[in-house]
Amino acid sequence: MLRLGITVFTVAALVLAAGFTFTIGSPVASQDYQAKAAAFVFRTEGCAEPAKAQISGTAEGLVKGARRSVVLKVTAMTKPGVYAVYQNWPPEGEWVVNLKGTCTDASAGAIVPIGPKGFIRESSKFFQRPATNAEIETSLRALAKGGNK
Amino acid sequence: MFTKHFSGQLASYIDGELAQRKVQQAELHLGQCARCRTECEQVRYGMAVLEHLPLVEAPEGAWASIEAAFQQSRSRTTATTGRWRLAFAATVVLVLAGVAYWAGVHQSGMRWEIVRLAGSPIVGAKQIREAGRVGAGEWIETDSRSRAAVKVGEIGSVEVGPNTRVRVVAMRPDEHRLALLRGEIRARIYAPPRLFFVDTASGTAVDLGCEYELKTDEDGFGMLRVTKGWVSFQWKGLESLVPAGASCRTRPHVGPGIPYFDDASENLKQALESFAFEKGGNETLSIVLTESRARDTLTLWHLLSRVEVGDRERVYDRIAALTPVPDGVSREQALKLNPETLKRWKEELSWTW
Amino acid sequence: MINLSDREISAEIIASCRLGDRDAFRALYDVYKDRVYSISLYFFHGDQAMATDVSQQVFLKLMTSIGQFRGDAEFSTWLYRLVVNACMDAVRHSKSEAIISDRFRMEAFAGTGSQEEDYARAEMANSVRAAVSALPPKFRIAVLLRYFEDLSYEQMAEALHCSMGTVASRLSRGHKILAERLKGLISAKK
Repeated sequence: MLRLGITVFTVAALVLAAGFTFTIGSPVASQDYQAKAAAFVFRTEGCAEPAKAQISGTAEGLVKGARRSVVLKVTAMTKPGVYAVYQNWPPEGEWVVNLKGTCTDASAGAIVPIGPKGFIRESSKFFQRPATNAEIETSLRALAKGGNK
Repeated sequence: MFTKHFSGQLASYIDGELAQRKVQQAELHLGQCARCRTECEQVRYGMAVLEHLPLVEAPEGAWASIEAAFQQSRSRTTATTGRWRLAFAATVVLVLAGVAYWAGVHQSGMRWEIVRLAGSPIVGAKQIREAGRVGAGEWIETDSRSRAAVKVGEIGSVEVGPNTRVRVVAMRPDEHRLALLRGEIRARIYAPPRLFFVDTASGTAVDLGCEYELKTDEDGFGMLRVTKGWVSFQWKGLESLVPAGASCRTRPHVGPGIPYFDDASENLKQALESFAFEKGGNETLSIVLTESRARDTLTLWHLLSRVEVGDRERVYDRIAALTPVPDGVSREQALKLNPETLKRWKEELSWTW
Repeated sequence: MINLSDREISAEIIASCRLGDRDAFRALYDVYKDRVYSISLYFFHGDQAMATDVSQQVFLKLMTSIGQFRGDAEFSTWLYRLVVNACMDAVRHSKSEAIISDRFRMEAFAGTGSQEEDYARAEMANSVRAAVSALPPKFRIAVLLRYFEDLSYEQMAEALHCSMGTVASRLSRGHKILAERLKGLISAKK
């Protein structure tokens, strides 16, 4: 019975693994000149109707030891499912971008650390659910320690 | 002499804004007038309590709103101006058909604003003091201590570095073109793509929405480095796409080299230089392939159409090993350099750049 | 990205702004934003929405009319003329001028001291803010301009569209009114 349960769980996880997610890239990936000044761009994957996905996010920061949160400016690009994130958080402090999305019943999340040279792809984390506060705090602390740079 | 009370000037006395002669008069009066002394202390106190009023930080996100409002106001101005120009042009065509045609097509009266940043930049044969104008066909020249900034129509600006000679070739709404003979320029363009061009001896930089630095020497050997957006560098059908964070060498009679990211390994960059311009063989190609990361598929994608047929498979296999080949990109068509296949692959690869 | 230290506004930055350089505008904005916002905030009785709106108007006006800045006066004088115009225009158009906002959060004055110290600091700041709010608009803007920006009386006269004598008079009377309203504030808190 236990083995059956594990098998079912594994199959379900594999199915879910191919679901709704985000992919991030530099502005050139959008193929849209309007993204030129964006901090980064991202696209949704695994969503049957990308134009209908609900997307939101915040920039989460540590500025002189104080936690800050700024609602993100996300702009849809010409291609459905592709979005640009423009920096509207202060230049000082450490910041990560927390993305959230829903596509019918599926959810996706991402934490994208921002370094002095732009978004840090290697340290970005992707989920098939919104990121938790603990995960955001962990990313911020790692960034503040210089671990993500 | 302040024989009357000078309540209205107490602040200027305290702030040291009174002329010296009046200060002496004021002090003499204050020595004799208790009322003014009391009021003087009150004004000082009023100034002191303000020290308890802290500076408040402007809200985050305000700059984004200001920029958005600025963009909107520019669109409205352009639309309004466009409508008025159309009405004006139509009227002029009715009354002065020939003149209107000439003005609409040639715009030879148009000049761009140029501002001196340092030293003594020259436009034509004339030194610029603070600001001036430059027209089509005119040269801008700087010496080792000079720099200038040019407003390129309504689409952006170009900073002209020291020891640079650059000519304004065209100033049309659909074509803003410079020719860089030698030196360095830094362009910041805000317009849609393919409105701004810079010709050099080794090809043309075509703006696709970007900020970049372009250098060239007298012999036409150059370097393009993109800091925002992306630029296409073209020469006789050969094209290199250079995104932000990447550079590309250019050579006369060869055109654009193969672009690479500035954070690529030194081994890769040196091997690429050797391969692209010095007819480096198998060994240099092997180094490029070995040293490449997922991000360096920018370089590898360009290499695909620049290597010998026999080496294409090696390049293809390396790209495929670094990132999954997307649907719609077949090995066969990629090796044949099918344009649609390569375009699809580039669009997908760009998510790793 | 251009990073400027406070007050490091060079002719080069202004020239770049005149050419539409976004980074240069952003650099100017970063230098002046807090002072412009603070003046607007205290001028409008702590109304943050109003202060944000006015601040944005000022910087938008700066961006759209930078070409009119001739360079024959200090840039800050020109900027603060925009601030004065925006504040006084808003006063002329507003329905009620005398509303004192009670939504001005004391968090704005929170420091890094103890809770008790923070509370005392915030309370004092609120008292001063209320007294400034109650000043007639022409005195209020003069007092705030002098406090937040170290302009000479000549520069203030230009920003306020009046003579230096009038600047001195408004500052003298404005500060005197503040003193009367806040009598004993400093000594009481010590």
